[in-house]
Amino acid sequence: MLKEYLAISMFFIVALLIPVAVIFISRLVAPKKTTPEKEEVYECGVDTVGDTWIRFKTSYFLYALVFVVFDVETVFLYPWAVQFQQLGTFAFVEMFIFIAILVVGFWYAWKEGALEWK
Amino acid sequence: MNFSLLSSEMLAAGLGTGLLILGLIAPKTENRRGFGYITAFGLLAVLVATFFQYGINQSTFHELWIVDDYSVFMKQVFIVAAILVVLSAVDFVETLPRFRGEFFALIVYALLGMMVMASANDLITIYVGLELMTITFFVLVAYQLGDGRSSEAGIKYLILGSVSSAVLLYGMSILYGLTGTTTIPEMLTKLTWSPILVVAIVMLIGGFGFKISLVPFHMWSPDIYEGAPTPITAFLAVASKAAGFAVMVRVFLLGLPLEGAVDWMLLISLLAGITMVIGNVVAIPQTNIKRMLAYSSVAQAGYMIAGLMSMDAPGVKGILFYSMIYVVANVGAFTVATLVRRALDTDTIADYAGLGQRQPLLASTLTICLLSLAGIPPLSGFVGKFYIFQAVMDKGILWPAFVGFVMSMISVYYYLNVALYMWRDDPKDDRPVPVPGPAKLVIVLSLVVTVVLGVYPGPLGELATMAAKSLF
Amino acid sequence: MTVGLTHFLILGTILFSLGLYTVFAKRSAIAILMGIELMLNAVNVNLIAFNRYVAPESHIGQIFSVFVIVVAAAEVAVGLALVISIYRDRISTNVDDLDWLKW
Repeated sequence: MLKEYLAISMFFIVALLIPVAVIFISRLVAPKKTTPEKEEVYECGVDTVGDTWIRFKTSYFLYALVFVVFDVETVFLYPWAVQFQQLGTFAFVEMFIFIAILVVGFWYAWKEGALEWK
Repeated sequence: MNFSLLSSEMLAAGLGTGLLILGLIAPKTENRRGFGYITAFGLLAVLVATFFQYGINQSTFHELWIVDDYSVFMKQVFIVAAILVVLSAVDFVETLPRFRGEFFALIVYALLGMMVMASANDLITIYVGLELMTITFFVLVAYQLGDGRSSEAGIKYLILGSVSSAVLLYGMSILYGLTGTTTIPEMLTKLTWSPILVVAIVMLIGGFGFKISLVPFHMWSPDIYEGAPTPITAFLAVASKAAGFAVMVRVFLLGLPLEGAVDWMLLISLLAGITMVIGNVVAIPQTNIKRMLAYSSVAQAGYMIAGLMSMDAPGVKGILFYSMIYVVANVGAFTVATLVRRALDTDTIADYAGLGQRQPLLASTLTICLLSLAGIPPLSGFVGKFYIFQAVMDKGILWPAFVGFVMSMISVYYYLNVALYMWRDDPKDDRPVPVPGPAKLVIVLSLVVTVVLGVYPGPLGELATMAAKSLF
Repeated sequence: MTVGLTHFLILGTILFSLGLYTVFAKRSAIAILMGIELMLNAVNVNLIAFNRYVAPESHIGQIFSVFVIVVAAAEVAVGLALVISIYRDRISTNVDDLDWLKW
């Protein structure tokens, strides 16, 4: 019992040491020259523009809303799928009714333009 | 599994979804007036269907779902309320900028939630029905886009309503922990006294008390009632409250034991007394008709919950009968408020001056409905109060009847105050107050029913008696 | 020391109290919604713990909590939509600014 834990703790210590060592060694070895390029938030890639605290368009929110609702509704699908063999045809039909209702909701969201980027 | 027990709910669900689909198919230019009529006729069909469910008294789905006469009667109360509200809203929805068809679909879904609550025999079913109703109401209360007061009322209702459901749910989880079951009749056999049970019961009373706006959980109602679109205020005030009663009566009378130290009745009767007093007293200084009706509905909740004190069929009969009366009278009053608001753009009671000269029909309906709520004989409100307090007095508990009587007398003051403005004063200007067809139907119906049931309460009383007996 | 029912119930109570505190103390509508979620999750902890320790032969508690999760998602979706709608009107999500209707 204790032996197994010992192995794990060895792993843990090594895993902890390596990143610390890497950071420390690079601090020692690396030359320290700052250029304006290096002061950027992202050194490579597109230049950052403006403030971090900007407002997001509410369109993001609409996507998120539709996603969350459908995502959570699928919670009901898991127990159904696990017990599918025992439940039989009846539950199969039942789940189709459930999904049909969801599809009506999805159709509504689509038609009302929740999925369009405005 | 007996699916015929679900027939009326399936019809209602089909109606709601059908309306949603219809709204997607119908051209955008169509003004959605027809949707109101379709909804009203569909609900009428559901109402007819419920009549075939009397006398079944069965439960299905492992006791999750029960159809007894009590639940059928309650469902009819909700459906009647929904039909009246839909008819009174047909002209109202034309003032909405968008989403007119969905308005009716949402009303049907809220109704579906209430129907589920009435038939629920299990905590899970109760919770799902309750939330279906409440979440739909969050949307409906905030329905008037662009009117800041409506969305403010919506978010207040959302926050307070969600907190109250969370508290209720915590109480339910404790009940489940104590018994290992969520079925209400089974709970009764397994519950014994323990300190934690008291906590659970207090939480249940808090949660349900919020829905039926018992003092001290009533603080939300005047704000929400004022901010919400008036037809929705009517629906919220009558149907959601009746649904709360439907569940509360079932859970408390059939699910919680009343022996030894578990004296939840003491708490309930205390709250009933406070509710009657506070509701009526605070209603007096109100100047906004919707706020006044809100406090009056708080007081009405007090009268109704007093019926629970008798713990027997006559008391429940009183609650059932009174719910129906209360629905009709309140929807009548709120419909008048909707029409006046639409024509004169005001909810202030003083602006009702001269309504008797402008529109005698509206003024007399409002007067009759308010007097019925006050419990003046021979109107139906008196009969309802009589049933409730007689049942309680038969059990030897006299004080609720006394408090109820005194408070009714006080309520006459603020109800008559409105009548005085309407009949005594002259109108401030000569703008007409039009009464469109469907709303006129609602107003005439509520006027006639309020008077007729007062004089001749027999048939409805018998139906309520039968329904109440099925509980015991 | 084994972890038993009591520990779960204490966890549930703490979560519930934190949620309730958030609802009353926070001024931002979004934070209040988070508090409500916390309260509902406390209920879920309770339900699952009771299911495991009180009535392990049935799955009522688990079924209940699945329903709670789904309903909570619907509630929050509607709640955020309302927050957006009121934000468009007032440019604020602070509940203290919601004073057009007197409390």
